[in-house]
Amino acid sequence: MSNEARKLLLVGDNPFHGISHLSQERARSRNEGIGYPADKAADLVSTSLRCGADGFMFSVSDITLSILKIVQERRSARQLELYAIVPYSFEYVRVATQTGTPGLAKRFAKQIVVSGDIVTIWQGLKAVVKMDPEGLVKTYLAYEISRIKSSAGKHAKLASVLLHEVITDMSLALGFDWLFHSYVAYLSKMGITPGFHTRNFPYLVKKFEEWNIDLDKTMITTPFNKAGFQMNPTKEECEKTLSNLSSPIVIAISVLASGYFKPSTAVDYVAGLSNLKGVVAGVSNEQQARETFSLFKEHLKKWH
Amino acid sequence: MSIWGVESLRKRKLRFAVIGLGKMGLVHASILNVIPDVELVALVDKSALMNRLYKIIFSSTGISVMSDFEKLSGLNLDAVYITTPISSHSFIARNLYKKAIVRNMFVEKTLASNYNQAKELCDFAKNFGSITMVGYMKRFSVTFRRAKELLAQESLGELHSFKAYAYSSDFLGLTKRSESSALRGGALRDIGCHVVDLALWLLGDLKVNDVLPNVTEIGSATSVSFTAKNSDGLEGRFDVSQCMLNYRMPEFGLVIEGSKGRIEVNDDKISLTLDNGNLTKKYKQDLSDNVDFFLGESEYFRENQHFVSSLLNNQTSEPNFESASRVDNVIDQVRNRSRLE
Repeated sequence: MSNEARKLLLVGDNPFHGISHLSQERARSRNEGIGYPADKAADLVSTSLRCGADGFMFSVSDITLSILKIVQERRSARQLELYAIVPYSFEYVRVATQTGTPGLAKRFAKQIVVSGDIVTIWQGLKAVVKMDPEGLVKTYLAYEISRIKSSAGKHAKLASVLLHEVITDMSLALGFDWLFHSYVAYLSKMGITPGFHTRNFPYLVKKFEEWNIDLDKTMITTPFNKAGFQMNPTKEECEKTLSNLSSPIVIAISVLASGYFKPSTAVDYVAGLSNLKGVVAGVSNEQQARETFSLFKEHLKKWH
Repeated sequence: MSIWGVESLRKRKLRFAVIGLGKMGLVHASILNVIPDVELVALVDKSALMNRLYKIIFSSTGISVMSDFEKLSGLNLDAVYITTPISSHSFIARNLYKKAIVRNMFVEKTLASNYNQAKELCDFAKNFGSITMVGYMKRFSVTFRRAKELLAQESLGELHSFKAYAYSSDFLGLTKRSESSALRGGALRDIGCHVVDLALWLLGDLKVNDVLPNVTEIGSATSVSFTAKNSDGLEGRFDVSQCMLNYRMPEFGLVIEGSKGRIEVNDDKISLTLDNGNLTKKYKQDLSDNVDFFLGESEYFRENQHFVSSLLNNQTSEPNFESASRVDNVIDQVRNRSRLE
């Protein structure tokens, strides 16, 4: 899939999971009780889409899939662009903490079996018997894609599936080039842009070039903000790597640093990064959704 | 030693192995593999199934995968990471020393299952002239480091009291939560140890006073509270729980009161409130939290970098076995006090 010239503006799901990179205290205060109700989160996504967001970026979990279902029902036949991050590492780490790695493996296998997807079950069985890591990756992706499509319905477009930062960065560090090649090949074949979520953007670009992975066929999400927060190794190195890319493939995350910056400050900074493909921002109330996306949309017009 | 800067001038890289390929083993292995002065030589995991899978996954990397740590013998290793369940730390470390497999070790927290085991490992380390480290990575967080600086500058004047907490929602709502927590050594050993280490690091040695409420088995309790006093008479309270509502990620924090004001510090921010009305608040974003390679938390890279630097410069590392054994001592005191009450 080629990278379009238009800049993307996406609404993210971090606030719905109780995530605030500014402080956990802040996340707790806006997530009182048992977390964000799906219909309230769906309202915020719908408002963001009305005010200029082009799509929804989310970690694939039961929570976000239920939000997605409500949003899509409200939009009826209007197409919704989806950018899904897999796996939802938080949940997997939590289960591993409670039950250990074998418990996690059992639970995951059970989920696939319960899904009733015969092809995926068969693929998974073959991969386990043959101890085939590439087969296991494909089985996992098939399972997640099937969950997303089943919740999103036929009018949604799954634009990209992005590998979660923990898996991306660990695989980069350990030199698992086979995983990246396999991931890119599998998703490209399905007409979905292979994406990678990373907090080590220059390192990823360096490794992909070494491994002959065509960056232009991928999408990268990585932090870009005025403070340089989570821009590793340095803000300058990330900006330099971005400007040297041959095409805009990067979606900036953490642009507001979860409230550390006002949207007006954040937008001034990202508007100066000409080689960005787009921006994702999370919102935690209706007013914030309207203001943030209206402001970003306005600035996108001036964005070169 | 930047992974982006000048290449190492060393002729030979330091040779490392990691024993235990759970979450922490993989995090450390990944970070070590990007540090230029390190060659990750071998990984050990005793699970037959995982071992088979890891052998295939790592086949193209040049890193050996084995099932028995004794097979590390003869690999001419400079250091080993032990990231297995806590109950096995002492056995593995002792045998690595006894069989002369390696001299320098990094052990994930807690160092051992009790203070006696920890003391024995300290003796081994002393006899072998080891450079050692224990994974109390919160000492490498920018906010807690700032707290250390402020206390060193005596910003609070005379210290009066403190409160420390470690909270998570890991076992909230689980029916068999004691069983699950016991697998990880109980809340105090699993998450409370970090805040005990921070308190020891910031405030000095601690003696446990009371355990509140009465907990019969520290090794499986999901919530523990206790009070402790340092040698200067500074008294404080610890609250540890894995059943707190809305603690999506574990959170560690301290509030320290002094004659001039108070410091409140946690993973995200630090504030210094002085009695004259001055308030200084800094978030992680303000404190240069970037690292050469980020995985999980920036603290993980810093602690690994510190251990590697200590080896390269043949210097003592911190927290080492000796300083970490004091955490096991405090946990043992809590266990003993809870049984007495």
